[in-house]
Amino acid sequence: MIHNWNRLTVAFLAAACLCLSAYAAPIEPKTVGALIAQGKTAEVKALGPGVLPVMVRLYESSDEAQRTRIAETFCQLGWKSPEAKRVLMKDVHTNNQYLRLQVQWALGRVSNDTDVVDVLLENMGNDANPLFRDKAACALAYDQIHLSEKQKVRLYEGLIHALSDPKLDVRRIALQALSIHTGQTKGFNPEAQVAVRENSIQQWKRWLEEYKSNL
Amino acid sequence: MARRVQIQLVILFFLLTPGLQGQLDPSNVLVSYSFDDQELATGPDTFAVFQKARGSVQMTTLVRFSGYRSLEIRDVADDGDFPELQGYFKLRSSGKLYLHFALMTASPFDELNIALAGPEWFSLKKNGIGFWLKTREGNLYQYSDSMPKKLLPMDAFVWYGLDVAYNISAGTYGLTIYKEGQEKPLVTLQQQANAPNQPGSAIDKFSFIGDTAEDKSNVTYYVDDVVVGTDEQIAQLPFVAPGRRKLFVDYWNESQRDSRGKPVPLDIVDLSDLGVGLKEVEALKTDGVWESLLQMAAGQTVQSMSSHASSDSSRVLQAVSLWSNGCEALRRGEAAAALGNFEKAESLLPAGKIYGMNAVLSLAALGRWQDVDSRLSAIYAEWQNDLRFPAALAMIGLARQDLELAEQWLRPHAEPVPDEIGLELIRRLRGGPLSASLLDEVRRQFPESWQDVVRDAWVAEQYFFVLLWKGQAAEGQQFARRMANRYQSLGIPNSKWMERMGDAAFFQSNFTEALDHYESSLSGTNNPGILVKLSDVHFRLGDLEKERHYREKVYGSLRQK
Repeated sequence: MIHNWNRLTVAFLAAACLCLSAYAAPIEPKTVGALIAQGKTAEVKALGPGVLPVMVRLYESSDEAQRTRIAETFCQLGWKSPEAKRVLMKDVHTNNQYLRLQVQWALGRVSNDTDVVDVLLENMGNDANPLFRDKAACALAYDQIHLSEKQKVRLYEGLIHALSDPKLDVRRIALQALSIHTGQTKGFNPEAQVAVRENSIQQWKRWLEEYKSNL
Repeated sequence: MARRVQIQLVILFFLLTPGLQGQLDPSNVLVSYSFDDQELATGPDTFAVFQKARGSVQMTTLVRFSGYRSLEIRDVADDGDFPELQGYFKLRSSGKLYLHFALMTASPFDELNIALAGPEWFSLKKNGIGFWLKTREGNLYQYSDSMPKKLLPMDAFVWYGLDVAYNISAGTYGLTIYKEGQEKPLVTLQQQANAPNQPGSAIDKFSFIGDTAEDKSNVTYYVDDVVVGTDEQIAQLPFVAPGRRKLFVDYWNESQRDSRGKPVPLDIVDLSDLGVGLKEVEALKTDGVWESLLQMAAGQTVQSMSSHASSDSSRVLQAVSLWSNGCEALRRGEAAAALGNFEKAESLLPAGKIYGMNAVLSLAALGRWQDVDSRLSAIYAEWQNDLRFPAALAMIGLARQDLELAEQWLRPHAEPVPDEIGLELIRRLRGGPLSASLLDEVRRQFPESWQDVVRDAWVAEQYFFVLLWKGQAAEGQQFARRMANRYQSLGIPNSKWMERMGDAAFFQSNFTEALDHYESSLSGTNNPGILVKLSDVHFRLGDLEKERHYREKVYGSLRQK
């Protein structure tokens, strides 16, 4: 049986974990590194938020393969961390495919800062690699778990703006992200003529103005 | 992010209130929960309760919109999950659907969410969420056309009545919101786009939860009188209507109907009656036997149980199992077996007050009157303000003999107030609350005749309730007046008998006189039992302000949580 509320977080910050981490012995970077390498995220989670600084330090001293695994673990934990965001942002334009995807997915799960949304919108619209554009849209659709309704305005503005992008695939993925957030398309067809598309874009803009007026 | 969690069962009690039944065609009602009276098992056709983490979903008698129970949903921040009541009904993909419910929150600044949804569950898409309400920063919002829209600021501890007329085909709905004590609705909206602005978005479930986002909600809120159906009259059900609110006498009437003159076990109103508190709940969850406990508490057979439970959890389960068996035995008339079960349960879990009372009722069924009197005295203090107590006393009084003999047997003891009343101990016994320590003093003072002394103290009260039980409220009021006057002349506090005079007046629908007696009985104290009755009598007199004033005096402790 499933709860199935579309909960946009995996913030498992149980009080027990907080208590344990406050009094537990220092977390060994070696242990954390081994757990991450073995994909034992549940055991990393059990260490509590105190593990985050250790992971950040590990990230900074690791090769790309290990950074990929650490980014994936940040993503699965879903805990906000300015330090994690800082180090992940350094790899948000990397050409290493595996690392790039994990970083793009993880960023929204460690931060709700404006520049995270901005960089993902930038990657979605302008990255030379279509795969990175597509996965940036995925991150914007599913992984912005800490955004408040006010903070979503910037996300929606960017996605609606991308509906006018000259690249078909950008228009398509922007619409998909908007649809995942709102359940609507406003009749937008990425392949339609400009004038037809413009009619739907105006509907989206009116919707956004009403959204802002209700905040 | 969809996550799988295990269904937890909970004791829930469902029944259409008579008022609703009279107004609706049952064939048009898909769901109706007033959280009173009867039991219904959880399941795919009814509802599921999720309380995996530290939050809870449970019945409460502390507040209620109608009847004497409502559903309390309590979320705990940062525990990794949210509590939920999720109810199911037959899929509706066209036509109209009506939803009616009452809502009260203790903490408007903590998030709660209420939704109707379809086969795509609780996501913003066609056949996903159709209707969605949430609180944020002290306000109630509707989620319409994929955006939150502010409806009204919410007051804590105030009931709001909500009616939704949901047009599935058009993808729109009308929403009306009433505030307790106000005749005109605060919100009246028509033609609102449904949550994803999708015509034809099917619906087959509803949900009441805490927060869905950052797991930061510590909300506690209450839901009552949930009705979902296709009958337009559901949207026209009154928010406050005479006769819909269940008063203290209603519990009495139901007990009278159920017992048919023989002692039957009292119902539990929440798990604390069984001695199961937060600590025990956490331990049971940790040990993986929480579901078993709830099945037992609901009177269901537990097929299999984890053998890894801690000794504390095993003790709790054993006590509740014994209690459940005892209840069945007493209903079958096997009082001796029932008594054994209740006594063993009490020895295992002394914090559960239901075991002691049901043991007394078993003793009454066995005719062991000396044991009844002494044990009743020992538990009097914890039961005296419980709304089930008068019914228990009446059942005991009736069981002493049959209905006619009971009066004959009781009258010689009940009418005369003992001459030795000047003794301080007997004054305390008659005038104040009974307690185990007072009973010990009486035993020491009257080693030969203490049972007669205790019986004399009890008999008058039981006689009074037998009179009420037999529908002789006028005689009961007369008797209570004589007792009150006699007590006064002897210098014994007579507030208890002033309250009884009020009870008898209430039973005769003489609410103004009942009010006078209850106010005299209260005389500067804050006796919660009398405060509830004052609230009820003001409700019957149509004074909702004072009804709320006295009700909030009782529920003040909730505000402090």
